Amino acid sequence: MFTRGTLIYIGQRLVLIVLAVLGVSSLVFLGIHRLPGDALFSEHLHGDQYQQTLHHYGLDRPLWVQYVNFLAGMIHGNLGESLVNRGVPITPIVLREMSVSAEIGLVALIFTVGIGMTFGVVAAIRQNTWMDYVLSTTSVIGYSMPNFVIATFLILVFGIWLDNFTQGTFYFQIGWPGRYGSIGAIWLPAFALGFPYASIVARLTRASMLEVIRQDYIRTARAKGLREAVIMVRHGLRNALIPVITILGPLVIGIITGGVVIENIFGIPGLGKEFANSILNRDYNIVIGVFTGYAALVGLANLGVDLLYVVIDPRIRY
Amino acid sequence: MAPTSFRILKTLAISAVASLAVMACGGGGGGGNGGLASDQTLNFPILGDFGTLDPAVADAETDSEIQQNFQDGLVRFDNDLNIVPDLATAVPTPSSDGMTYTFNLRHDATFSNGDKFTSKDVLYSWNRAAAYQGSYATNLSAIAGYDTVAKNKKAGAELETLLEKNDPSVTLTGLTAPDPYTVQVKLSQPAGWFLTAIALQGTTGWIVDQNAVKQNPDNWWSNPATAIGTGPFKMVSYTPKQSVEFDAVDNWWGSPKPTLKKVKIDISVTNASTAITKYEQGGYDIVGYGGYSNLPVADILRIKNTSSESAQLLLHPKVRSYWVSFNMVHDASRQAGGPFLLSGGDKAKNLRLAFALAVDKNALVQTVCQSIVCTAATGGLIPPTLIGHLDSTDPLSAFDAAKAKQLLQANGGASAVSGLKYAYDPENPLNVASAQFLQAQWQQNLGVHVDLLPVAHSPFIKARLKGDYVLSRDGWQADYNHPQDWFDNIWGSKVGCPDSGCTTGYTTKAYDDLLAKADAEPVDQAKADYAKLNQMLIDDVVYIPLFYSVGAFLIKPYVKGAGSNSFSDNLWNGISIQSH
Repeated sequence: MFTRGTLIYIGQRLVLIVLAVLGVSSLVFLGIHRLPGDALFSEHLHGDQYQQTLHHYGLDRPLWVQYVNFLAGMIHGNLGESLVNRGVPITPIVLREMSVSAEIGLVALIFTVGIGMTFGVVAAIRQNTWMDYVLSTTSVIGYSMPNFVIATFLILVFGIWLDNFTQGTFYFQIGWPGRYGSIGAIWLPAFALGFPYASIVARLTRASMLEVIRQDYIRTARAKGLREAVIMVRHGLRNALIPVITILGPLVIGIITGGVVIENIFGIPGLGKEFANSILNRDYNIVIGVFTGYAALVGLANLGVDLLYVVIDPRIRY
Repeated sequence: MAPTSFRILKTLAISAVASLAVMACGGGGGGGNGGLASDQTLNFPILGDFGTLDPAVADAETDSEIQQNFQDGLVRFDNDLNIVPDLATAVPTPSSDGMTYTFNLRHDATFSNGDKFTSKDVLYSWNRAAAYQGSYATNLSAIAGYDTVAKNKKAGAELETLLEKNDPSVTLTGLTAPDPYTVQVKLSQPAGWFLTAIALQGTTGWIVDQNAVKQNPDNWWSNPATAIGTGPFKMVSYTPKQSVEFDAVDNWWGSPKPTLKKVKIDISVTNASTAITKYEQGGYDIVGYGGYSNLPVADILRIKNTSSESAQLLLHPKVRSYWVSFNMVHDASRQAGGPFLLSGGDKAKNLRLAFALAVDKNALVQTVCQSIVCTAATGGLIPPTLIGHLDSTDPLSAFDAAKAKQLLQANGGASAVSGLKYAYDPENPLNVASAQFLQAQWQQNLGVHVDLLPVAHSPFIKARLKGDYVLSRDGWQADYNHPQDWFDNIWGSKVGCPDSGCTTGYTTKAYDDLLAKADAEPVDQAKADYAKLNQMLIDDVVYIPLFYSVGAFLIKPYVKGAGSNSFSDNLWNGISIQSH
């Protein structure tokens, strides 16, 4: 499946991802240092003491010197230290949080594709029946509601009402046990993150399936006496997937960036919860680290989606 | 539909329902009451990681709330804010000239790694803290030789080398150790606030272990192997921005001996409402600890109205005040100008008074805080429970719309105050609600439109202290229970007024002279002088008082000993978990 050409393509894309990450982090470096205010100045720390602290962190040097130091650090995989969490190295934090965001993003993607395709296929097969109407309406609702509304509603239902209703026997417990979330901890936030996008996938899959199942080769397959499930999955769904895969790239970006809100609402220690706080706190290195992490995640996720084409459609070769 | 398709759908539906049932399964608690629980683990969240646990540079409330449980000072505050001995055997009495303090140290105190605590540790910790010039270095500024050490530019390993060889550039000449259990402090001038300042938990007066610090001078506090203190708890794990755990120190030298065996602090939740939901599910034992008692008003109201939970809500006055500041000086460094300048004489003063009297402070706390998370600031800027809180009602806290209107008309009318902007930092919801309320009050009671200018917190503070705003949100959280903390740090030339580190620019010779006198006196004598300083601020209408903050905590009924005074959380070694 992965030919030599494919491997070369992957190599080229990885180089481009590295360049993109470097470009993004450089832009963010320049941007964040241009914002008024900084992490150190406070009602207690100003005047000479403030200048001394700036000196300690090298923030009193010319911007280009700081930039050169930053680039040298980046090349060695060192994003520097936090200014708010004084002296704490950032690279391990960003890598850990990136992996948490990737975990929840991946599960959300599974929900997106799984629910979206199931809804789309069923709605297409049962076109113009009550099932089609219910699933299509659900999709419209999912598509129309922002993920933070869905998240809050789900916490209310599964976290509070279910807790009260079952006297604390069954409920969704908010929190994140350990470094990575368990299935019990991740399914609800992943659902909240993925459901709006699942609705898009459902609508697209339905339309695509409706077109495919009217094709002559489907009729031929039926005439040959193939089982309906085989026809739908092997001949119908596989061909209907191409347009769905096409929008997976933008959807993945949406899922990754949507994590900013979901992680904050569910208390998930991923990159998302750093996003706003680090900018507000002017914690320069964390801001750069977070954007660098997101750039890497988006780049890698898009590469993964592009490679899916090869799996789904044998005609596509790199 | 073909039968096969229906079977697929049916299988999918059953799987989905089964998965939901399995995944929704959470834990529940139960059991009887009475006696200690077998599991003495306390769980609570902090909604943001601490900045550092190094007393030399620590400057945030969260830092000190953690530090006070694993580090000590020579003296500290008790729950009633009295200064009590900690690593010293008694609170020292200053010499008759107020210039010398002699601390006798405990012989039985040790660090959690077994190192003995001696006077050498005090000299090392204080010299290091003065040399680092962190936010609270000035707490040591009364000690002779401070000005020399404050010029130090070295940090980290370089500073450690200088400290190791007692280099004069990093040695407070007024700090000596006649023997291993005595420390003598000579001040450069009398300072009645000195003991109070070094009692401030987790800051420059607190003690670190040189053996631990020198292993990683910049970052020793973040590694359990080197995060060593003399307190009843020791750090056993720390994952930045995720969690930190402390264990009780076996055979700790002090008292009360800790009942809790472990304290788990969750740093992964940054949203207060999420933390409250997790608390309600049983995921935490306390919410509001660690400097995060400013819980959302909506959640507090809901809990207050929930019969099963209302008893778990603890509201306690805290030591933060909010007010409005005017720009009162216009010079080459302060370009904001405006109609409220000191140089504007009575006319400007009457305009300031008009703006103050036009605000209904009782309505403000009802609108902004639902009369729950704040109370009207009617006793001066220093909150109740602190030394310096006024015995009488602050006249600037009065609401008199008619007089306000009359003052405005008599001093130039609305045109004299046109084009004003009120600057504030919107990260705190109370600031947003206050700004909107003030705008409405000035419009309604004075007929003056004031534009609102929201500015992100960091640049806001920087610009405010430069004197860039004519009208701005102001506030102060007490560091320790002494009026010097307020009058030294907000007004007068000592803090840098008019041109540096000063929101209003307010400074007069009379203020500076009286402040110098008050600062030198023992606190009992100084109270009257600080009250006169407050009166000066009132006479010159330097501020519009708004409100004092109230902290909110949620504490499970089985957690005994938890709570707060107006400064800080109750110490962990006074907390136990009852059977539940």
